[in-house]
Amino acid sequence: MRYRLLALITATALLTTTACSGDKKDETAATTAPSTAPSSAGGPAREDADLVIWTSEAASRAVTPIAQKFGQDNNITVAVQVIAADLAANAITANEAGNGPDILTLPNDFLGGALQNGTVKPLSLAASDLTAYEKSAVASVSRNGQVWALPYGMENLVLYRNTKAVPQAPATVEDLVSTGQAAVKKGTVKRALSLPVGQEGDAYHMHPFFTSAGGSLFGMDASGQYDTTKIGIGTPESIAAAKKIAALGEKGSKVLSRSIDGSNAIAQFTAGNAAYLISGPWALADIRKSKVPYDITPIPPFKGGKPAAPFLGVQAFWMLSNAKNPAFAEEFVTKTMNTPEAMTAMYEQDPRPPVRDDVLAAVSAKDADMGKLAAGAKNATLLPDFPFMAGVWPPLGQAYATIVGGADPTSTMQKTGKTIESAVKAK
Amino acid sequence: MTVRWWREVGLRHAGGLVAVVFAVVPVLYVVSAAFNPLGTVVSTDVIPTQFSLVHFRSLFSDPARPFPRWLLNTVIVCAAVTVVQVLCSALAAYAFSRFRFKGRRGGLLTLLLIQMFPQFLAVIALFTMITELGDAVPALGLNTIAGYSLVLMGGALAQVWLIKGYFDTIPRQLDEAAVVDGASHATVFFKILLPLARPILAVTGLLAFVGVIGEFLLASIFLTDTRSKTLAVGLYGIIESDRSNNLGVFAAGALMTALPVVLLFQYLQRYIVGGLTSGAVKD
Amino acid sequence: MIRILCLGIAVGTAAALTPSLAGGGHYVVLTVAWVVVAVLLVTYGTRRAVTAKYLIPGTLLLVVFTVAPVLATVQMSTTNYGDGTRTTKQETVERILANSVVQAPDSPIFDLTVAGSGDGDFVFLLVDRATGQAYEGNRDGLRELDPPVTAPPGYTILTPKQVNDAAAQLREFAVPTEGGAIRQRGLREAYEGRAMLRYDGNAITDTQTHTRYTVQRQGDREYFVDANGERLSDQSWRAGVGLDNYRKAFTDERILGGFLRIFGWTVAFAAGSVALTFVVGLGLAVMLNDPRVRGQKWYRSVLLLPYAIPGFISILVWSGFFNQEFGLINNLTGLDVDWLGDPVWAKAALLLLNLWLGFPYMFLVATGALQAIPGELKEAATIDGAGGFTAFRRITFPLLLVAVAPILVASFAFNFNNFNVIELLTHGGPFTPDNPDAGATDILISYTVRLAFGAGGAQFGFAAAIATLLFVITGVLAAAQFRATRSLEEVH
Repeated sequence: MRYRLLALITATALLTTTACSGDKKDETAATTAPSTAPSSAGGPAREDADLVIWTSEAASRAVTPIAQKFGQDNNITVAVQVIAADLAANAITANEAGNGPDILTLPNDFLGGALQNGTVKPLSLAASDLTAYEKSAVASVSRNGQVWALPYGMENLVLYRNTKAVPQAPATVEDLVSTGQAAVKKGTVKRALSLPVGQEGDAYHMHPFFTSAGGSLFGMDASGQYDTTKIGIGTPESIAAAKKIAALGEKGSKVLSRSIDGSNAIAQFTAGNAAYLISGPWALADIRKSKVPYDITPIPPFKGGKPAAPFLGVQAFWMLSNAKNPAFAEEFVTKTMNTPEAMTAMYEQDPRPPVRDDVLAAVSAKDADMGKLAAGAKNATLLPDFPFMAGVWPPLGQAYATIVGGADPTSTMQKTGKTIESAVKAK
Repeated sequence: MTVRWWREVGLRHAGGLVAVVFAVVPVLYVVSAAFNPLGTVVSTDVIPTQFSLVHFRSLFSDPARPFPRWLLNTVIVCAAVTVVQVLCSALAAYAFSRFRFKGRRGGLLTLLLIQMFPQFLAVIALFTMITELGDAVPALGLNTIAGYSLVLMGGALAQVWLIKGYFDTIPRQLDEAAVVDGASHATVFFKILLPLARPILAVTGLLAFVGVIGEFLLASIFLTDTRSKTLAVGLYGIIESDRSNNLGVFAAGALMTALPVVLLFQYLQRYIVGGLTSGAVKD
Repeated sequence: MIRILCLGIAVGTAAALTPSLAGGGHYVVLTVAWVVVAVLLVTYGTRRAVTAKYLIPGTLLLVVFTVAPVLATVQMSTTNYGDGTRTTKQETVERILANSVVQAPDSPIFDLTVAGSGDGDFVFLLVDRATGQAYEGNRDGLRELDPPVTAPPGYTILTPKQVNDAAAQLREFAVPTEGGAIRQRGLREAYEGRAMLRYDGNAITDTQTHTRYTVQRQGDREYFVDANGERLSDQSWRAGVGLDNYRKAFTDERILGGFLRIFGWTVAFAAGSVALTFVVGLGLAVMLNDPRVRGQKWYRSVLLLPYAIPGFISILVWSGFFNQEFGLINNLTGLDVDWLGDPVWAKAALLLLNLWLGFPYMFLVATGALQAIPGELKEAATIDGAGGFTAFRRITFPLLLVAVAPILVASFAFNFNNFNVIELLTHGGPFTPDNPDAGATDILISYTVRLAFGAGGAQFGFAAAIATLLFVITGVLAAAQFRATRSLEEVH
């Protein structure tokens, strides 16, 4: 028995001393040698890197080289992490737990939820410091006299056209349908238009048709801001618009189909199956790779209708309020990224119209597509960022899908209006 | 081949073949997508029309998707969690099967109830917990394989019921005889029961393994760093970020993930056939 | 001896961690670590408590990583925790104030060098970009400097890494000026900023407009609100709400209306999946488990494939198969079924997928059970004059059912909470526009998750209440089943 006890004590003591000495080593390393940061080459990108950036896969290809150079210049480790699902929700939760990134990239509609949760901190740049940037882009990430993120790219829907199937750009939706269907008849393509609807609907992609047909999501106040007391869904205008959409649906001209969804819409076009595609700049890389001859034009309106208004989304860099490395984050966003060179690099890896006017001009001169994409934003309205939109998008999308599938537009829009009303009121 | 053969055996083969087709077609689709150089949803069909290893190559060369690393992480998590789960379950099953103690029945029932509560619903609490643990002991925090494994080890007793059922069928006389010969309870457990229970250990091990390798809900929350991801969350990220283009890469990764599991299953097949039920029927 | 070593390692690890844990203020982790060690010592340090020796390892893991989070979830169900209420009131005020700092108009921008004393005091060495004038700034104010600019005695110039690491202290540091204060921006720049809001312990005041924002309750939370009811910020803070979340669950029509229907489908889905897979698996087993059938091993190897492929992969692949126009199923069969858009077909699609995923397992189980049934029994039945089918029905099947009952129950329980297959195939849909929360194929857990993280933003407190209720329901069901299948018999 005594022997056992002895062994126990020895083992304990041994472990304690070895572990403690290990501890001390860590401490000294942390306090005395800040400049000898672990080399970024080879070593795994740890989550306690000196700068952690969360982003999407596409953007990561652009951000990674810039961030790595920043790391070398400042002799620090940088980790660019691709977040598979729910970047926004994960970032809010992780930031609150003190485990979030220092920087993330998300579109401007992150702002509402981020402010509600105190997730982001302002740029500490005044709007006047951002005069080189497109005004509407800066406005999209501004609130309460502060700019909350550094915008870098615009995204809005445009009309891609297979020029082999349809040489001339359509002037109206009716033109689009007739020329597309003519191409199908000729056998050049299998369908007129590829626009993602899916079983759950896609309110974002349907918005241009909806607005051109006279519908609106919210009213606008005098200053051009959304007036959420005036909900446009369920109104007679929205019902009239829904009827026009229904006419394009599965029980109408069959231009729209629930079988086309986010997973196959772009591929339908790049495979040469569709005469037209309604999509955004994210589709460009695939289309170029596919060698389908294409042109880009703004989305046409219905004949005699209002202009087709896509949503304008603005991709941006956000700094988090609980960042572990706020100084590096601020330096990276307000200095490194806030340059024409970095903005050009972002465009090169993840092509979408830059929001710096000088970069857009330079880029458009070389790449005509950028100007055409930007032209598609002429009638665009800003992507709304209210936190309650989480309760608006799903029922609205569902309404479109149901209507495309052949449901009664009138009652569907009325029911949806009520659902959206209660979602808006709840907050 | 007589008519009688056709009626009595041929029909059995026919039924079996229908099942084989049903089982194999989706698998063929994955194979076809993995070897199709275009790798998009539109271009893929059940029967492979083209052959290329481009997706496999990209799995091993793209630093944004360190597939070998994910594979290693997955193997570590699967091995650790499976071993712990089977061992803990077997230990507890031994107690429940061989000892009579107060709260035995209640304990078994409670176990069942807790197991039925999906851990995922407590995810916010788990997240807070691992965050705190990571602040205290960085090696066990978020984005660590160890921390994630610990969370999954919360299901350490998931296999108690199955193993206990099997232990119940092993005659008590065996261990009683050993005790008479002077063996301790530990000897009885490790030297007599465990070797006899090999089939059920293999089966529960497989069940645990399959459960862990496919887990991506918790992984997608706890493992955000590219290099700490498991195959499940990594592959899910690939397909989720661009469903139409990444089908090929995803399918290639899926094949590479499934292959070892399939081989393991083939190897352990005889145990699965016998392990779950043989004892119960003999009773 | 091994035991001693293991205990020693446990004690040693805990002891080794203690200084850093105590130093870092991680008392919860520290306490848990020592409690675990104490339990281990008591259990394995003596020769008694034999039963506990076998139960403790798994139980400890279960308690720490499953029971504790569940209890924390129950506790969370009495709070309003969620989007907008993730922070404490103090944190909320701090963030609102910090976010109100704006750069003073036409104020100078400085090149910044930070020098530190090593004990938390700093000096800003500043050069006005426009004029080139150098300054030294500390907590008391600005002082002009003549070049060369050097750090004052006792201070050393910080490297970028040091500036970054001192962020928490530097956040409190600003050089007061007439117009506001000079603050750090990034690593090498400073600007003159002004906080637009002030907090006096009760209310926040706008220093420009003198508007007072006081604390008022709106709905289930409190905000800073002006006299007209306008919120200063949407950010509220965490607070206890008692049983309000449960009250909401039982009174909200939107939730109640969907609940019963979803509960019914959950049971049907779980039972249907078990029944289908079992019937098909058993049928195959009976068909192929015949000595005259050659290549049984080959059949088994192939039929195993669906089960061996990790589930999430199969489900994602299958989800494309159900597309009405391009999906494999309609294309191969020539059908034109609206698989995922029609409530009935969507349910059928789920069951079909679950059949594919689950029948191999049941096939193997049934094969094993069939092989284990002693041949004499079957022979005896045949001699008694029973035909093949009668023998199966009267002798084989009941025996088999007894053998597989626990597996059927486990399979039911698994499918009852089979979130993956619902989420990855149908997302719970198809939905109707008037109820975007409850889809036609939602089961309780997918419904709960949507309520928690879906339309209303994150409502963790409310979700925790629903999860608690779900826990109770699942438990009652499981207990009832086991009573019914009498597999608890052995326990008595």
